Amino acid sequence: MPSLARTQSELLDAILDGRAAMASAGLQAYRRNVNAAWSGALVAAYPVVRRLVGEAFFAEAVARHAAANPSRSGDLHEYGEPFASFLEVYGPARTLAYLPDVARLEWACHQSYHAADAPPFDLKALRGVTAESLGEIRFILHPATHLLRSSHPVVAIWEANQPERDGKPARREGPDHVVVRREALEVRVERIAAAEWRLLAGFGSGAGLQAASEALAAGDAERILRTSLARFVSDGVICGFAMPAGGS
Amino acid sequence: MHPGIAPDSTGIGLRAPHYRELLERRSPLAFLEVHSENYFCAGGAPLAWLERFRASYALSLHGVGLSLGSADPLDERHLGKLDALVRRFEPALVSEHLCWSSVGARHANDLLPLPYTEEALDHVVERIERVQERLARRILVENVSSYLEFAHSTIAEWDFVAEAARRSGCGLLLDVNNIWVNSVNHGFDARRYLASIDAHAVGEIHLAGFERSGELLLDTHGARVSADVWALYAAALARIGARPTLVEWDSAIPPLDVLLDEARIARSHLARTASVLAPVA
Repeated sequence: MPSLARTQSELLDAILDGRAAMASAGLQAYRRNVNAAWSGALVAAYPVVRRLVGEAFFAEAVARHAAANPSRSGDLHEYGEPFASFLEVYGPARTLAYLPDVARLEWACHQSYHAADAPPFDLKALRGVTAESLGEIRFILHPATHLLRSSHPVVAIWEANQPERDGKPARREGPDHVVVRREALEVRVERIAAAEWRLLAGFGSGAGLQAASEALAAGDAERILRTSLARFVSDGVICGFAMPAGGS
Repeated sequence: MHPGIAPDSTGIGLRAPHYRELLERRSPLAFLEVHSENYFCAGGAPLAWLERFRASYALSLHGVGLSLGSADPLDERHLGKLDALVRRFEPALVSEHLCWSSVGARHANDLLPLPYTEEALDHVVERIERVQERLARRILVENVSSYLEFAHSTIAEWDFVAEAARRSGCGLLLDVNNIWVNSVNHGFDARRYLASIDAHAVGEIHLAGFERSGELLLDTHGARVSADVWALYAAALARIGARPTLVEWDSAIPPLDVLLDEARIARSHLARTASVLAPVA
């Protein structure tokens, strides 16, 4: 009698193997279920990519992607992260150079939607920071905040392909520096200035205010610190701050 | 049975298209059942919705991805997320499936049947025990629908299900539609199946619709409960007594009223049962 492990491996091979289509009605039913589950996860996570390429192209891409990237989790929300890298090397998508970055943006939205909550920024605590230690302050990005950049106009493409829009992007040229954030549990996608993006990327990698500001051109620094930083706090892009150990 | 859910009460599977309407109107439902994995996220909208529903309804967490019967090691990360969800929402019921979904770290994200052998029975009993230990509570385990059988099975499905519950001490989530689907697909007597189930073990009943595809009945959760399944449900209640009953609908989700109507029919069956049979504690 075959062991449980062998029985299961052989059945899963038979289900995932395309040749199951030639096999029993039962195997075909399971194969359809698995396809429906995996493709359903990608349909939910990548609506803009799907609209851009059309249903038939998307279905074929999803099937090819699945053959190389089986699900690894019992939670289908975790399925589909490698889709952007897959699209990069997927021959039929080669002429759509922007497609992988659009997929990356959609995966960031998917993650943002499910990310942890955070209490609102505690402005009172900020008053306790002395002027001398201000440069050491480390702003913390909200768990739902994601930063991406692309040489393509991905934000314009993403916006134009929301359900109620006509699909015509307002801009044809990148680059786009993007922040994905969450407001009242809804995911927002925004194009921000390159300098703003560099500041947030600095915070994201744990840099203090002084170090992160050094990435800005001298002319930008004051304006960005004066206006953008306050906006990122009030928009919830930044949800808190920390002082380095031993600091005030 | 949980004190929060009366044996003659009904619920429906909570699905996103019905969120808003179900919060805005009153319903005679006593509980809502969700797929546990849909709330494994760290935060955000899904958990916020679930917080709102728990204020008005008892909750049932119904897992579809733990892969209880897999030959792989138990997925502790998955179990940890389930444990956190159970602690946060204190559901009236927690259930999983008597099946497997993954092996060799590949996940089918579907409910695949076990070979009904002593080896599989020992294995799944040990895993149910470990899950109950981790969650510090009894779980319900559901009989699954299936589209194939293993030639080397040595135990009848109904004996396997009953024995898994008896040995592990878990409860049963008796899916009457799945019994019917399997009885047609594999050619057995559905009432013979019911007869082997220990009434005291049953903590919940599931109803759903199937669709026919050639020779097979497919458990699509995409249609109304069939007349055959209502008849089998009545037979189950007559034998087991009233049990919290849930209507599931997962594909081509219809307006909320259709689900509420199915639940109403279930309640009329339950009311008739309650009057002739005292509920089993």
